[in-house]
Amino acid sequence: MGVRTESHKTEWLTTLPSLAWLTLFFAVPALIVLAFTFHGHTPNGGVGEWSLATWKELVDPDYPTIVWKTLRISFQVTVWCILLALPCAYAIARMGTRWRGVVAGAIMLPFWTSFVVRVFAWKTVMHPDGWLQAVYHGWLHAKLALFSWIPGVSVPVLADPPPGNCLLGFAHCAIDTARTTIIDSEIAVVLVSVYTFLPFAIMPIYTAAEKFDFSLLEAARDLGAKNFHAFRKIFVPGIWQGIVSAVLMVFIPAVGSYVIPQMLGGTNCVLIGNKIFMRAMQQRNIPHASALATLMAAAVLVPLGLAAWWTRRAAARDRRKLELRTAQLMSTGGQR
Amino acid sequence: MAFLEFQDISKQYGSVKAVDHVSLEVKQGEFFSLLGPSGCGKTTLLRMLGGFERPTEGRIFLEGKDITDLPPNQRRVHTVFQNYALFPTMTIWDNIAFSLKVAKRPKKETEEKVDAILEMIQLGEHAWKYPNQLSGGQKQRVAIARALVDRPQVLLLDEPLAALDLKLRQHMLIELDTIHDQVGITFIYVTHDQGEAMSLSDRIAVLNHGRVEQLDIPAKIYEAPATRFVASFIGDTNFFAGEIAAVRGDYCEIRSEGFPAIQAYNDKALAAGQRVDLSVRPEKIRVTKTAPAAAKGPGLNVVKATVQDIVYQGVYTKYWLKAGARRISVLEPHSRFLLDQETITWNDDVFVWWHPDDGYMVEVK
Amino acid sequence: MKRSFFSVVVLGLVLAFLYAPIVLVFVYACVPNGSSMSFFRTDGSFIGFSAKWYQMIFRGDYALKDLMQSLWLSLKVAGLATLASCVLGTTAALALHRWKGRLQSIHHALVYLPLVMPDILIGISLLMLFVALGVECGFWTILLAHVTFCVSYVVMTILARLQDFDDRIVEAAYDLGAGPWYSFFHVELPLLMPGIIAGGLLAFTLSIDDVVITSFVNGAGTNTFPTYVSSMVKHSKNLPAVFALSTIMLVFTCALVGLSKLVVRGQPQKPKEAKGTKGK
Repeated sequence: MGVRTESHKTEWLTTLPSLAWLTLFFAVPALIVLAFTFHGHTPNGGVGEWSLATWKELVDPDYPTIVWKTLRISFQVTVWCILLALPCAYAIARMGTRWRGVVAGAIMLPFWTSFVVRVFAWKTVMHPDGWLQAVYHGWLHAKLALFSWIPGVSVPVLADPPPGNCLLGFAHCAIDTARTTIIDSEIAVVLVSVYTFLPFAIMPIYTAAEKFDFSLLEAARDLGAKNFHAFRKIFVPGIWQGIVSAVLMVFIPAVGSYVIPQMLGGTNCVLIGNKIFMRAMQQRNIPHASALATLMAAAVLVPLGLAAWWTRRAAARDRRKLELRTAQLMSTGGQR
Repeated sequence: MAFLEFQDISKQYGSVKAVDHVSLEVKQGEFFSLLGPSGCGKTTLLRMLGGFERPTEGRIFLEGKDITDLPPNQRRVHTVFQNYALFPTMTIWDNIAFSLKVAKRPKKETEEKVDAILEMIQLGEHAWKYPNQLSGGQKQRVAIARALVDRPQVLLLDEPLAALDLKLRQHMLIELDTIHDQVGITFIYVTHDQGEAMSLSDRIAVLNHGRVEQLDIPAKIYEAPATRFVASFIGDTNFFAGEIAAVRGDYCEIRSEGFPAIQAYNDKALAAGQRVDLSVRPEKIRVTKTAPAAAKGPGLNVVKATVQDIVYQGVYTKYWLKAGARRISVLEPHSRFLLDQETITWNDDVFVWWHPDDGYMVEVK
Repeated sequence: MKRSFFSVVVLGLVLAFLYAPIVLVFVYACVPNGSSMSFFRTDGSFIGFSAKWYQMIFRGDYALKDLMQSLWLSLKVAGLATLASCVLGTTAALALHRWKGRLQSIHHALVYLPLVMPDILIGISLLMLFVALGVECGFWTILLAHVTFCVSYVVMTILARLQDFDDRIVEAAYDLGAGPWYSFFHVELPLLMPGIIAGGLLAFTLSIDDVVITSFVNGAGTNTFPTYVSSMVKHSKNLPAVFALSTIMLVFTCALVGLSKLVVRGQPQKPKEAKGTKGK
């Protein structure tokens, strides 16, 4: 603008600081990670010669299990987050402007307490003698009692906490009271993950819902649609871009989750993130850690690519605007 | 050399020619309008004068100095933007003082000038408010004051009234006129609204497709349009396309398909055989149930027609009539509405007539 | 259409869910026994609340030395990272907003990708960089990593602000004789300030809260507050002190934010002292 002759120079001067920084500390490191996967490792924790050994070692039966478990837990967390976020976002968007800001701020407020401290708080109540444990056992017993009365459903009684065999994760069907603790279980990981990522699901959906024209719902009901029907057929499609953003904002960090499974999942819930940390920091096997990180990047980039492919250009631009607005909302604690 | 001169200016955006070989001369102190539909290149011309765009070809001279390549901050040409573009983080006072502060004028001089211009726009008591606390009309006045305070050589106004409602617009028109008279600075006014341009300007350049269609005083633009575009863009008109069949003295006879021979004043002394568009303004045509008495000289043009539609507009009534395959629009004033006019209603057969002097011929090339 | 009862109930439950751990932090900051984390004796009788953890903090107890040091390091890192990422973020956002060429699409991708990459990947790739360069990890590597992941968030916040930005305002500044620098510091920067402050606030929150990336690049013995806390053994007997410290920090932050809101709210309406304009 304005001084046309200097435009090109000005552009470079303005772009260079961030461009150089991110190239140096984001792009180059990513390439180094990729390069390291094609190296062997040396016993003393160094990086060895060029080889394909690392990739061959990834066939280790451990890894597919861990990848699958990571994806499954991330999926459970995402589904729970979206299911809870939808009614919340709807409720906030329907409030008066004054209340909206207050409630949106209230949702972001817990973030002003350290994340690690909050996880510790959860850990404290998940103490094997604690009340959450009691609630958990009560739930398991109720479930066992319920299922054993339904003909045709056999409830296997296992001594070990079984792998999450139900899609939504809360359906453990076997109890060994002495050994089934809520701490160090998958449930603990899912619960606290939902707790952690829920605001990231609510905010983008709320941002989209805020722009939604609620008279459409009235019109739908006027034409005879039932409440839930109108919600599902009109509201949900209307805020679709917000939901896509929310899914990405929950699923991606869930895949990369490392602190929560480490602190609450114990040995029962080792995910890719934990494996990467173990390989890199404890076993000093840099090439292995790099290969796992590459796998994780793929797990993240595939859904992202899908989302980009599904939504057309115009919709993508809408979503980008939405994301910007979300960033704005989250950074200001819901106040405008 | 003229005060401000555009010499053969062109501006190309990719394959689009926004401005196409425009040459204009503006006199000092003039209120000059660039009028045209959106996309006609008027805003591009203005932005080139402001320094925000550079012409692809041609030069711009201001008081004999070539300013084509000067950046906006080095020309003493200020713009009043359509959406005002006031600095929201500054008070009204600081907004107006901006150009003086940039130029590092002495503090005392700055204060005097800002206070004086605040007085002129009658916003003295709002000096310490912020722009978002003002109404549209007040913002507009601040924007004008901000651009005028250091007395630029030229003031550019880019559709300054477009964002205001009708009442306010009419009020601001008068105010703009007053301000122009007070400061005596050359104003270049860009608008698509012919009413604004007509009532304010000393001269108007009508633009279309990046070209100047006509440059003249407002009355000439209206009464003697140079092209068919000008005639149709400025006000309503009826066109009769045809060919000059015969020339008789000052008048000529036009043959237009579906009509009897039409008489028109031949001020351009066109020869027979010339193809022309005859433009007749609706307010110059009369509609009566009985045929008019024959007039002296070339006689009246009388056409038989049927009433298709009538729209009552208060001061006027607008008639849509069908003559053969053509539609003619007529505006009848209501000066003698109740007294001597027979009531005309839908589907009536009527006579439509006008004096040959009231038609204006535009040559078709 | 009236509000749906169901959705309001869900919202209430979700808010309770979100605040439960905060309440727990408050409560457990007053626990009398740090190793059992219980308010009860083994026979089931209630002991009562205790203020000893707060006392320890205010006394500067030696047992909390490492904790306080880690907190100080966190504040230092977060402060510096916020400053640096605000500067980088502002220039980046301006460039992304003003130009739309090939360079900017690369630039945008580089800014956008760190947002969608899990923290752990940023952590490990930076670790790899430092390994490859043979750099000793410590304060500077932590700071560098924090700036890297904060920049993108700051850019997004400022870009959001720029979307509502009227480019004509900058043109108006040029038009009235201002050069690029004058226009930047007197017109653009004041306009962007709310965005920059919001971005900075976000950067500070993210930086002071980060545990994943830091745990990769902190090197031996250098701990920020989150990495120190997460490395505390299962039932460290000083855990309630951490809770007490968090409570103090939360109260402090809330007070600060509340205060800033009050100041901001009071600002635009307040007419400046009229300086000699009423002369006539």
